[in-house]
Amino acid sequence: MKTEDLINALAADVGPEQGVAYGLPWRLAGAFALCVGAVGVGLGFREDLGMAMITPVSALRIVLALTLLGLGMQAVRYLVRPEGTGRLWPLWLVGGAAAGAVIWGLVTTPRADWAAEAMGETALACLVSIPALSVLPVVVLMFALRQGATTRPVLAGAMAGLTGAAGAAAAYALHCPDDNPLFYVSWYGLSIMLVVGVSAIVGGRVLRW
Amino acid sequence: MTDTQDEWEALLRAANAGDTRAYAAFLRKVAPVLRGIVRARGRLLGEAACEDVVQEVLLAIHLKRHTWLPDAPLRPWLYAITRYKVVDAFRARGRRIDLPIEDFSDTLAAEAGRDPTEGADMLKMISLLDARSAELVRRIGIEGASVAEAGRHLTMSEGAVRVALHRAFKQLAALRERHLG
Repeated sequence: MKTEDLINALAADVGPEQGVAYGLPWRLAGAFALCVGAVGVGLGFREDLGMAMITPVSALRIVLALTLLGLGMQAVRYLVRPEGTGRLWPLWLVGGAAAGAVIWGLVTTPRADWAAEAMGETALACLVSIPALSVLPVVVLMFALRQGATTRPVLAGAMAGLTGAAGAAAAYALHCPDDNPLFYVSWYGLSIMLVVGVSAIVGGRVLRW
Repeated sequence: MTDTQDEWEALLRAANAGDTRAYAAFLRKVAPVLRGIVRARGRLLGEAACEDVVQEVLLAIHLKRHTWLPDAPLRPWLYAITRYKVVDAFRARGRRIDLPIEDFSDTLAAEAGRDPTEGADMLKMISLLDARSAELVRRIGIEGASVAEAGRHLTMSEGAVRVALHRAFKQLAALRERHLG
């Protein structure tokens, strides 16, 4: 086939196309709303939720998670376009803040209790719930990325995972009674990284074009 | 170069708004530049295989054209797609290549490729489509029929032709992935 012939055929297929990531913020907000609902119905919000929200060390969990969510979303918005690279350095700031929280936890927790506080009572629940809750938002993000044209499928997948898992962690925090940074930085962090890793692998497969 | 860029941007903007002629003009301007890039890199592949790669990249640009933001510069977008697909196409043919971005500016500034030859892959892929889609692509592409004419031949409405044609290109890209990737 001559290239000129192909061009003729391609040119006949113009037409208005939906913009990329069209309506994504709304679909994602819907997915996260379902996450919060699932936590409320399935696990139950913690009883002292109001108090926890105004206790800095407890509220920090949610602030960190929402910051990660915002940064992940921003990266996805760049990566959905072929020329997009996504700025990742702000993630180090969140890592730094999390490390600061851990130090604060170490300082305020008696040395004898470090291990017990870090293990908490709900580590397993956390490790199961956050990845489970992140499935829906991650799927929503992957579909949006597939409509786009990322030239970095693995990274884009990872950032979809980060965004979804961070939102899931914020939702799960409404239930989780463990407030010690030694606990939540470890277990929320591990859960999120798990999802990021799996999503990167999935992205490498499904986001190619 | 800036002139070219402005001109190309205007063409693609019009194309994305539904202007067939602007779109054909855009693709005709892009094709020789692509050919220059691909031939510079793929001398060992031979001209016909190079033309296959050019056509693959054109198909990719076509399917992803809506990922260009009308107010964003066109060049980085076009380079990014081209680099991704050229590397991909060469890998599928068993060659690993690097395409540093600086190379692109050089190639673009240099004279574009010589006269096009025919590629072979696209026809093979078209023959793997369902009969009706294949007929559509052939009629409109090779015989130069309009959408309306092709519709009359196949007793399809213009709308149906457009939908089928669009689906056919998506399938062609998917077939390429399966058979070469």
